[in-house]
Amino acid sequence: MLEKPTRLHDKFWEIFAKQDRNKIDEFKTYMDKFAVNFNLYKDGNFIEQSLPFDVIPRIIEKKEFDKIEKGLIQRVTALNLFLEDLYTDAKIVKDGIVPQEFIDSASGYLKEFVGFSPSKKVRAHINGIDLVKDSKNDEWVILEDNLRVPSGASYPLSIRDTYRKIYPDFFENLKIEPIKDYPKIITDAMNHVNTGGINVVLTPGRFNSAYYEHSYLAQKSGAYLVRAHELVVIDKKVYFKNYDGQKILVGSIYRRLDDDFIDPKFFNPESLIGVPGLIEAYLAGNVALMNAVGNGVADDKGIYYFVPKMIKYYLNEEPILQNAPTYLPYFEKDMDYVMNNMEKLVIKDVAEAGGYGVLFGHSMSALQIEDLKMMVKANPRRFIAQELIEFYDEKCYLNGNLEDRKADFRAYVVVGEDVKVWNCGLTRYALEEGNYLVNSSQGGGFKDTWVMEL
Amino acid sequence: MEYLTANVATSMYWLGRYLERIEATLYEINKAYDKIIDVDKNAGVKLYKKFEIDLKYTNASDFLDVAIRGDHSANLINLLKNARENAIISREYIDELAFGEIIELNEIAQRIAKSAEPIDYKDIDYALSLISEIWGAQTKRGHRKEVDYFLKLGKLVEEVDFRLRFDRKQKMTEFILEEINAIFKLLNPKIEINISQSEDIMGDLYKEMDKLIIN
Repeated sequence: MLEKPTRLHDKFWEIFAKQDRNKIDEFKTYMDKFAVNFNLYKDGNFIEQSLPFDVIPRIIEKKEFDKIEKGLIQRVTALNLFLEDLYTDAKIVKDGIVPQEFIDSASGYLKEFVGFSPSKKVRAHINGIDLVKDSKNDEWVILEDNLRVPSGASYPLSIRDTYRKIYPDFFENLKIEPIKDYPKIITDAMNHVNTGGINVVLTPGRFNSAYYEHSYLAQKSGAYLVRAHELVVIDKKVYFKNYDGQKILVGSIYRRLDDDFIDPKFFNPESLIGVPGLIEAYLAGNVALMNAVGNGVADDKGIYYFVPKMIKYYLNEEPILQNAPTYLPYFEKDMDYVMNNMEKLVIKDVAEAGGYGVLFGHSMSALQIEDLKMMVKANPRRFIAQELIEFYDEKCYLNGNLEDRKADFRAYVVVGEDVKVWNCGLTRYALEEGNYLVNSSQGGGFKDTWVMEL
Repeated sequence: MEYLTANVATSMYWLGRYLERIEATLYEINKAYDKIIDVDKNAGVKLYKKFEIDLKYTNASDFLDVAIRGDHSANLINLLKNARENAIISREYIDELAFGEIIELNEIAQRIAKSAEPIDYKDIDYALSLISEIWGAQTKRGHRKEVDYFLKLGKLVEEVDFRLRFDRKQKMTEFILEEINAIFKLLNPKIEINISQSEDIMGDLYKEMDKLIIN
């Protein structure tokens, strides 16, 4: 189902009708030529591929985006307060707002970090918040918070430049918010928490799925792109190894690898992509890590349920943006509801990400439903259930035809001195009609997002 | 102040070497191909002896085929793949247009590698023009940075290697070596360096490279 077109959409289509559609192929040529890639491992093989891109942008009216912005600032502020509280006083647990059991069983919760406060007490610096627009009430709904290593911002950034070259008419005739300041927002956030030294982007390396993005953001933000062995920790300080043997003090690390791999001395000893001793330096307050270690607890699918409560608890405000209606089988009342309504619910395995472990009741057989019920009963904390949100489709120009595809929207919220919401984002659309999974790892594509006003 | 990891410095250096090697080899292939047609059937054999490769072919077209995609260490398809890898590792330091040309160059190479058709001469001409554009795009940068000198160093070292293999005029080689010495000093003023004509110029250069880029 498509959203009712606004005057902004009409203006877009007016200009689109006058454009040379043969030029659409130039986007793919550009992405191939400049290796705007999303890498995958398939059947043990490394595949470099450009992400599917659709030329029809998602259009969000400025005043609508302003509301999203307010809601996201509120949410990310509360999530940061939650993380800082949880790892220090844990008042929210003591006050019974979030059950201890949920904290203990969240895989991203790291007890070893209790008592530690990172630089400027900022923990969730760069956040990707996934939203959809519910067709039932025209409201934006939060589906997921990504507070660890959210990726994707580089794709709309890269494509916008190309868009302006291929189809300048849109930008000359419409009031589309410019988006080029994202790297500066990142730089400001890095500088804000920097403990003294240079900024670096730590990548797992050339064969990571998002290597293009690591390289792009390093270049645009002026940080140095490094792999683990190009950093060294001496006396609890992190140094960048210059080619001539000089060691340059590092003050802030925008790390693009998960907690488990970041320091083989502290976490997974098998990790070849981590920096030995990094956590010691971090705990000594000698370097800032963006995002902080241990954030996984806050974007755990089970903890998601409690975010509206966090907003009330920390900010004494009503949430501006709502969660999708969510049930925790852990609670008896919710378990009953889930058992009686599984056919219409979406069941998510809290340990999975990237669109994996998401089961749609309406597309399962009776036998599958029964199996799933048994699994949920056996391990209620492992699952959450959500009402299926009939979110809007977006018009996509696929193979020369206009087709409707489900699309979500990842907004980027960056916390530095202030909390900033980038006035763009990653709109991801599903590969097939009717499919609700839009993740890149599920074959989904992306489109630009234009925040516009008349 | 600009910092560089050894990885980027090395990648830029090798990118310069590979691009220069590909360009110089293509020019030599060009000349040999022309001779094989009606002047000297062995021109290709003689050329590849300089690379210590025993090349076998039946005619000019076959020479092109085995020279470019044959199973040997100077296979241009592999050289282009290596150039692309080095470009990807150091992409944030490379001019955007130059980077795009390198990717395109590799696309041509991959197409040639997969094709069963004889090699089209137009592809070679186009590849050469792309390489010229890469050098042009990279050198037009108004504000030259340290990292650019690693690319240039790679190019010059490869030029010396070619000159030695092809017994070209010593005077010009001396001139290039002077330029190399100057770049070494610029990149690390602490290095005492004065590479000149010797028994083993390439060996001397490699030793200095090991001092310049500390892994």
